[in-house]
Amino acid sequence: MNKLGIEAIDEGRIKIEVLDSSAGIYIKFTGEIDMEDPSLILDPLFEKIHNGAIDNSIKEVAADFKELTFLNSSGIKAVAKWIMKLSDMDDASRYIITVIHNKSVTWQVTSLPTLSFLVPGAVQLQ
Amino acid sequence: MAIKDPTSDGYIELKFGPRWKYIACARSFIQNFLAISINDQAKADKIAMAASELLENAVKYANGEETQISVKVSPSTEKIAVRVSNLASEESIKTLKLIYDKVCEGNPLDAYVAQMKEAALRNDGKSQLGLARIRYETGGDLNLEIIDKRVSVLIDIG
Repeated sequence: MNKLGIEAIDEGRIKIEVLDSSAGIYIKFTGEIDMEDPSLILDPLFEKIHNGAIDNSIKEVAADFKELTFLNSSGIKAVAKWIMKLSDMDDASRYIITVIHNKSVTWQVTSLPTLSFLVPGAVQLQ
Repeated sequence: MAIKDPTSDGYIELKFGPRWKYIACARSFIQNFLAISINDQAKADKIAMAASELLENAVKYANGEETQISVKVSPSTEKIAVRVSNLASEESIKTLKLIYDKVCEGNPLDAYVAQMKEAALRNDGKSQLGLARIRYETGGDLNLEIIDKRVSVLIDIG
């Protein structure tokens, strides 16, 4: 179990693990997010991560999408919603989201960098 | 027996009883079709994504069972045309037109980011991101055709 006490998700074709890292929290996505309403899974997860990161003064949350083979636009919406939570926070109290992507997967190269335009300085791409 | 000219246009057409569980199947099928039709893997991936997004819309908003998807390839130019067609209610058509007009205005990246920000504020389970994503990520030309209650979304990718 990670320091935020968040359990892994393993539903259908998607597995999401939340792990501790030296920099803060590491989220690993494996499989496909193509269900009709991914927000049912993703919104509560990102809410817990966001609140946990703030309460524990965590400065970096890494989201590793390398093993995610597909993310539909409803899934992108959920990720965008999480990132937008940082928009009304001051720089000192907010954390950085590191989006880790696989450069050999087309959708990751075209979709994920756009997330960095949502809240300037809140997302770094790796 | 006449042998088809291998440089002539090829296509697939699927009639789709709109069910969510068939979308991943259709996406894989289209990806495999494109893998043997064109040499550009990235383009094949983008089109499979676009087709998947359009089919998701069809499943969510179509009236009836007559959803059709066709993917046409011109081997010599590697130009690809995707068409997804379904019946829809007047309300869905009106909403689609509004989204289409908004998404097709201005720079594709700006339109996509604006649509993402708007989506992030929605709490109704809808994203309305698909068309903006397709326009930006495929770099293709998007067209909307409405004849009575039949809606067709067309994408031409060079």
